Amino acid sequence: MTATTAGPRPTRRTRRAPLDPRLLREVTAARRHVARTVALGLVQALCVIVTALVIGRLGAQLLVERQLPQDAPALLLALLAALALRAGAVLLEQRTAHRAATDAIGELRGRVVSHAATLGPRGSAGRGADLTTLATTGVENLRPYLVGYVPQLMLSVTVTPLCLLAIGILDPLSALIALVTLPLVPLFMILVGTMTVGRSEQLLTDMRSLWTQLLDLVDGLPTLRALGREKGPEKVVAQLGDRHRASAMGSLKFAFLSSMVLELLATLCVALVAVSIGMRLVYGEMDLAPALAVLVLAPEVYQPLRNVGSQYHASTDGLAAVTASFEVLDEQPAADGTLPAPDLRTATVALRGVAVASRDGLAPHDADLTLHPGRVLALTGPSGSGKTTAVHVLLGLLDPDRGRAEVIDVHGAVTDVRDLQRRSLWDQVALLPQRPVLPPGTIRSVLASARPGAGDADLARVASATGLDLVVAERGWEADLGRAGAGISLGERQRLALARALLSPAPLVVLDEPTAHLDGATERVVLDLIRTLREQGRTVLVIAHRSRLAEVADDIARVEASA
Amino acid sequence: MTAPTALRRAERALEIPHGRLLAAVLAAGATLGSAFALAAVSAYLVTRAWTMPPVLDLTVAVVMVRALGISRGVFRWLDRMLTHDVAFRGVVSLRTNLFTALAARTDDAVTRLRRGDLLARLGDDAQELGDHVIKALVPGLVAALMGVVVLATITPLSLLAAASMLLALVSAGVLAPLAAYRAATVTEHAVVTTRSGVSAPALEILDDATSLRLDGRLDAALAELHERQAEHDQAIDRAALPSAVASAAVPLAMILALAGSLLAAGAAWVTGGASAGQVGVLLLLPLSSFEAATALPAAASQYARSRAAAARLAEIVGSPISTVTTAVPGPERAETAHLRAVGLSAGWSASAPRVSGLDLDLPAGSRLAVVGASGSGKSTLLATLAGLLEPLAGHVVLDDSAPLRSGVVLFAEDAHVFATTVRENLRVVRGDLDDETARAALSAVGLDDWVATLPRGLDTALGPDGTTVSGGERRRLLLARAVIRRGPVLLLDEPTEHLDTARGDALLRALLDPADTSLVPATSTVVVVTHRVEAIPEGTAVLHIGENARTRYEENR
Repeated sequence: MTATTAGPRPTRRTRRAPLDPRLLREVTAARRHVARTVALGLVQALCVIVTALVIGRLGAQLLVERQLPQDAPALLLALLAALALRAGAVLLEQRTAHRAATDAIGELRGRVVSHAATLGPRGSAGRGADLTTLATTGVENLRPYLVGYVPQLMLSVTVTPLCLLAIGILDPLSALIALVTLPLVPLFMILVGTMTVGRSEQLLTDMRSLWTQLLDLVDGLPTLRALGREKGPEKVVAQLGDRHRASAMGSLKFAFLSSMVLELLATLCVALVAVSIGMRLVYGEMDLAPALAVLVLAPEVYQPLRNVGSQYHASTDGLAAVTASFEVLDEQPAADGTLPAPDLRTATVALRGVAVASRDGLAPHDADLTLHPGRVLALTGPSGSGKTTAVHVLLGLLDPDRGRAEVIDVHGAVTDVRDLQRRSLWDQVALLPQRPVLPPGTIRSVLASARPGAGDADLARVASATGLDLVVAERGWEADLGRAGAGISLGERQRLALARALLSPAPLVVLDEPTAHLDGATERVVLDLIRTLREQGRTVLVIAHRSRLAEVADDIARVEASA
Repeated sequence: MTAPTALRRAERALEIPHGRLLAAVLAAGATLGSAFALAAVSAYLVTRAWTMPPVLDLTVAVVMVRALGISRGVFRWLDRMLTHDVAFRGVVSLRTNLFTALAARTDDAVTRLRRGDLLARLGDDAQELGDHVIKALVPGLVAALMGVVVLATITPLSLLAAASMLLALVSAGVLAPLAAYRAATVTEHAVVTTRSGVSAPALEILDDATSLRLDGRLDAALAELHERQAEHDQAIDRAALPSAVASAAVPLAMILALAGSLLAAGAAWVTGGASAGQVGVLLLLPLSSFEAATALPAAASQYARSRAAAARLAEIVGSPISTVTTAVPGPERAETAHLRAVGLSAGWSASAPRVSGLDLDLPAGSRLAVVGASGSGKSTLLATLAGLLEPLAGHVVLDDSAPLRSGVVLFAEDAHVFATTVRENLRVVRGDLDDETARAALSAVGLDDWVATLPRGLDTALGPDGTTVSGGERRRLLLARAVIRRGPVLLLDEPTEHLDTARGDALLRALLDPADTSLVPATSTVVVVTHRVEAIPEGTAVLHIGENARTRYEENR
């Protein structure tokens, strides 16, 4: 019961080549892996053929000439060597396959993550959970694909044809039987597939809806308990489960037909070969040695195909991960500009008719704003109107679909933000996002990193201005934040982030809804902070949902989404 | 609790019908047996044919070969169907038993589970045990069965061949699964330990790419990801060798079986102890005797995964997963109740009580508002008062010493809206709900207009977890549940959150004013957690929950 048969999993019906050419081209570990499995496949094919020939010869010598196997030590040795070599090839192939999978997964994950990071807010936000799933567990699907499926696939292009060739040399008639039955495999598979596709899809839909209902019930168990109504629904769980089983079995009935066809053709071919050889031996039309060898080889022709069939799911999951990864890698990040950014202490930043396409229209739609140096601008608008997106455009993180963001220096020279060397712009900006992102370290080191060379007096000053001093009083300056500030609460993290913004020398401070999730006391801290920043002559852009933030602003700009 | 017993308990909770399991094993055995018999009979046929007997002597062998050529495919289908059927039945039983066991828990284990955990346990882990049947249990039994069949076939022909085959089967049957099990546990360990080390920076970079780029910290974060990935690679690479050994074990064992068989065939033929057909069988059979054993590595890794899944299930269920449905205690309760808390400390962990030393005395018909900053422990207190979370100290009792949960009902802030109709979502609190009561309750919470706009009224299906319902509608739907439920003690967590101020405040006043019976009867005790201090009616008792677990009790003026 794989997840596909029991649980709901969206199965893409797109056909893919069993080996993704880009994977081979771009991921060295995968390319080497395929080359190595081909080579090891050839070795295994050779071993299989030698084994068959030697067994045939030993058997014939024994039966015809009454020569014991131990009296032909060279042959016996060759046989044992071939078998040992085959086992060794399997060992090496699997050992290296795991290594190759580990390398390929690491490489692909690293590339996807670093590329997605440079795509900007839209690149990752557009994919959301899909991208995080791909980067964490999705790429891991390459392991069963590379370790299980690919080697069997390579065996089916080495062992199968070479064994067939050997049979053809030993006994053309047997080869003919195999050649006739082999093409029947894909033929019957397609036939079974088209016959059952409609029915199993309907059953799959039923199955998914039952599964969803079942999980909904499980999800609601704590609620049922809180309401004192937890007894009874277990009957529904059983009923839904039984209906799900019936549905699943209904669809499996057809799905298993294909494995039946594969097995049927494989064994039927062996049976036909055996009968044909037997009938010819009876009339003395054939020698014993080739007959025995062909009998050994016949099942080997089909074995890799059967294994490929049983690894089918590993291949679809692995290829889906590869395709998804290259889809991300194919997206082009916005190019960096070449011009150095003007000094933001004196320059004006502005949006001119900026529009960005969102899921339902344009958000923002025709946004205009001018951020004068040393002033506080509040950006307002209903939720979903594109306030944060407008800021991303302003900072050159996102290219707008219409309009532009520009920087006007003290002499009035206008430059499009897209032409600016981003680093030179960003070095002058302190951004405080809704969920503050902090580097790892202690409260002291994290705060001090906002301005290299800051002294203890500076730290104490900004700490008391933002209420961080209360956190320090409780936990101490050396409290470890852990990863991403996980060691302290969200409110404490927010205060630390505010203190960092205050301490940093950046002339432009951007606050994205700084009072969301905060109580009234913290809101006052933010208002005081904005006033302090203005007194220091810094430019502040504050995304404000609450009216009180807009009250302290010198200018207000409003953005709207298109209807 | 050790893992194997957990797995055995989970196996028992699967309630696998023995007859069906036997049928599945026999069908799987017949599948492999067909291939084995085909190899044996065709070897016999070919070597017997070489002695040029009358063709009629070969008829039986020829017919058998042809029949076996077909039977394998048919048995294969049967085997797949029977095995999956047994597994699905097992999963249904297991899931039902788990649900029953969780529902029957009297302690706070379910309350402590995170939402995703419950889904993962009853969804994925239950399925993992279904896979246990398909990939470990049945193949294991079939391998044992086939071992017996192989030895029973060879023993009459030659004891030497049988002895070497026995040795080969045992070494393949032990070495391969052991190595595979080792690989599976190493992998599992690496996934549990170092993989989260990879996921954490990866997620951080994807979530916070904008801030990281702006601050110039992206490269450092990527370098960390790279380093963690290298650590994980090193950990997981330890599984590669045992896993490869598992795959190579069968071809290795085959050498032993073939060598013994060759020598035995020679001896048997030269001494005249065997016919040509029998010699043919001895020569060729070793190559076809290991098909069942090749499934053992996969069975062993599945066994490792099943053990882990069963241990996780045992963790949430606590006591052995019971297969006996416990009798439902009568949920019927008195009309009124007197709720008391004495020296109560509440919290999720003993080291961090959110509320401590609280005494509460709520006679029938009391109204109490609970206020405090977010994160101060208001919801924790309600869960403890409802008997869903064990108190850290002190106790909560009803005056008639009835079980707490028979009289106290909690309407949680994050309560689940089921993916079913409006009516069914209300029936959750009362099975015999009629339309009139439902409409009255919806109208009392101000949802009558909303229901009127729904395409099928009360029978309109809501999306999964109320996603097609707005925040305010959802909140009032949950409040309507409380109105319908009534009961002696009602605990409501933020019932007016996400509502516009005027409407929310009116509902809050109706809940807290004993004279207002539009929502709850005067005799019910009502405890409401709210952040709208301004809207609490004059004269209502208010419990302030402050920082450091300090509580203050006063009357609103």
